[in-house]
Amino acid sequence: MGRHTITMEPKKRWKKVLYEDQGVPDNYVDESFLDEMQKNVHIRTYHYWSVVQESGVVTQQICSVCLFVAMFLFMDDKVLSPKVLFCVSSFLTIIGYCIHELLEYMEEDSDNMQTRTGWSAMKTVLMFVAFSYGLSPILMTLTDTISTDTVYAMTAAMLLANLLFHDYGADAAVVSGALSLNAAIFASVCLASRLHTTWHAFTTVTLAVEVFALWPVLRRKLKVKVKHSQLVLTIILTLVTVVTIATLSTVAAVLLTLLYVFITFVCPAWLISLQPYKNNIYGPWDEAEIKD
Amino acid sequence: MKHRICMVSDFFYPNMGGVESHIYQLSQCLLERGHKVIIVTHAYGDRKGIRYLTNGLKVYYIPIAPFYNQCAVPTLLTTLPLIRNICVREEITIIHGHSAFSTLAHEAMFHAQALDIRAVFTDHSLFGFADASSILTNKLLMISLSGVNHAICVSHTSKENTVLRASIHPELVSVIPNAVDATAFTPAPENRKKGRVTVVVMSRLVYRKGTDLLAGIIPDICSKCDNVDFLIGGDGPKRIVLEEIREQFQLHDRVTLLGAVEHNKVREVLVQGDIFLNTSLTEAFCIAIVEAACCGMLVISTKVGGIPEVLPNDLIQLAEPSVKSLTKELEAAIEICKMGRSDTQFHERHERVKRLYTWQDVARRTETVYNMVCEEPRRPLPDKIMRYQQCGPIAGKIFILFAALNYLLLFLLEWWLPAKDMDKVPDWPQSKNKLSFSKNKNSALETNRRDCQDLGR
Repeated sequence: MGRHTITMEPKKRWKKVLYEDQGVPDNYVDESFLDEMQKNVHIRTYHYWSVVQESGVVTQQICSVCLFVAMFLFMDDKVLSPKVLFCVSSFLTIIGYCIHELLEYMEEDSDNMQTRTGWSAMKTVLMFVAFSYGLSPILMTLTDTISTDTVYAMTAAMLLANLLFHDYGADAAVVSGALSLNAAIFASVCLASRLHTTWHAFTTVTLAVEVFALWPVLRRKLKVKVKHSQLVLTIILTLVTVVTIATLSTVAAVLLTLLYVFITFVCPAWLISLQPYKNNIYGPWDEAEIKD
Repeated sequence: MKHRICMVSDFFYPNMGGVESHIYQLSQCLLERGHKVIIVTHAYGDRKGIRYLTNGLKVYYIPIAPFYNQCAVPTLLTTLPLIRNICVREEITIIHGHSAFSTLAHEAMFHAQALDIRAVFTDHSLFGFADASSILTNKLLMISLSGVNHAICVSHTSKENTVLRASIHPELVSVIPNAVDATAFTPAPENRKKGRVTVVVMSRLVYRKGTDLLAGIIPDICSKCDNVDFLIGGDGPKRIVLEEIREQFQLHDRVTLLGAVEHNKVREVLVQGDIFLNTSLTEAFCIAIVEAACCGMLVISTKVGGIPEVLPNDLIQLAEPSVKSLTKELEAAIEICKMGRSDTQFHERHERVKRLYTWQDVARRTETVYNMVCEEPRRPLPDKIMRYQQCGPIAGKIFILFAALNYLLLFLLEWWLPAKDMDKVPDWPQSKNKLSFSKNKNSALETNRRDCQDLGR
């Protein structure tokens, strides 16, 4: 193949410098070649069952989405009255808020902080309720000119976007909490406009805010403060969702169960089986990180 | 052995930069050694056609427009007729491509396979491995270097990086460093401000040049030492950070931001300083520190990339890429300057650096590479095409297809415009420059500088 090297040994130990003529040809390869290269420095070993447990976060978000859609379908079928739903969801939200405040109080936080946030929370809630109720007539007729199929397609796309961009706790560029919340609220507006009365529209939007904006906050707090809360929550939510969907359509319930099994058991196994193929190369050519 | 070399790159004058001046200086020194050199690059605005530079260095500005980031559109097969035309008329024996970013260089080296011309590639930059753009560029480099006879890198770190990126055998890569024109960077210590110690920074103000580190160092040093001034040349998106620091600490009379400095005015700025500070986060070679040392300055730099290989320990102080470490080294250097540095110390440094890196040496070592490449036996066509198989199961087959198509296109061109019917270009008379490079060493480089200034317009 014509690789021309005069195999000469350098007179003294070869140094990795450019300013000295070390008496070897330019394409000389020393034994210390690639000595400073390091591979797979930041490797993490995953344990199957802890990954399974952590995957509960994704499952819970899917449950939220499914329950929200289920509520919409119940209201559409006139099985569920919006007033009932509004009262129940508000009640649950108040309980959730109290739990959140209790958990925060258990941290060493000063008392006056608590009362201040209590008042500001009250103000926000009142303002939101007032605006939503006031604007719900407009909301109801928003998508009158758009066909139902388009609305359903848009809703599906937006809820998918919510699932994809949701902040599950990973530090990645694709995560955008704002985008995911906006997608969910847009989906709720699409759905709200398909319903019959202003109360329906108002309830849907309020439910969406509670499920997609407030519930993740409480969920994160529980995860940090209460041990094993995630496991319990995942199991309860999964069961509730599957049962609810089963009343609407058996096929959907079966598919949903299969999806849960795939995410909870198959995906972690797949991730762990791919770890041996990791090949991260580090060396002196990497851009330095500013240490301070 | 005298070679007929075609340097190909998207980056050439009137664009000013490291790769451009490297190509130019190397070409001039190769001309002095008696070889024939031409340069091929894309059109710059209205500048199309052929221009002649000093000593008959012919530059072909071929009519291809730049498409993104100064590079031509990658079409792979459509550049064959023009490159073939140039290579046949000039009777080229070696195509030398520069810079991994240049699509024209990669295409020319690809055509060299079909045209039965040897190909050499010089890599000027370091790359990562982990992000999306690096993965794609590295794959393309691997494919491109499958057809190249030899590669040249500007430092040992760069060689390791290129070998890993392109998966080529390390014995196919030579390390030939950059060089500096010592006659252009002479010390003039009388230009410094009396009684003050001036720290000069000359780089683009971007993240990878460590402008954030600089923003941390300036207030630290200015508060600890009150006879120090900063002179910062260069522009970029991080300029605002430095201006904010200047505002916040009220350092308007101690920190001067010069903005973008033209290449021929760099020396004027350097001679006003005692210390040169380089805060880059990654560098393949860093010619700026050599230029500064050539002007007799004390050099402080971060220990990244190829920088530790460039200057010996008594000409440079290296520090970790952190504000604390750089501040410590800078304070030590300021102490040395406070005790006073004599003019002879500046000139001594200049004399030392003058001998370390010269373009004549680079040309000599490049000539060795060319000799090595020409002595390789000719590879038969099936071998040349099947070499692309090592690039991977899918990419390999795609490029085998392209190489075969390229060869078919060549057959067509050979039938339509036979090479034997083409007029060959007479060589520029070189009788004066042959073998007299020891006498005319300085004169060739003097005219180089004039060319740079003219071409800048």
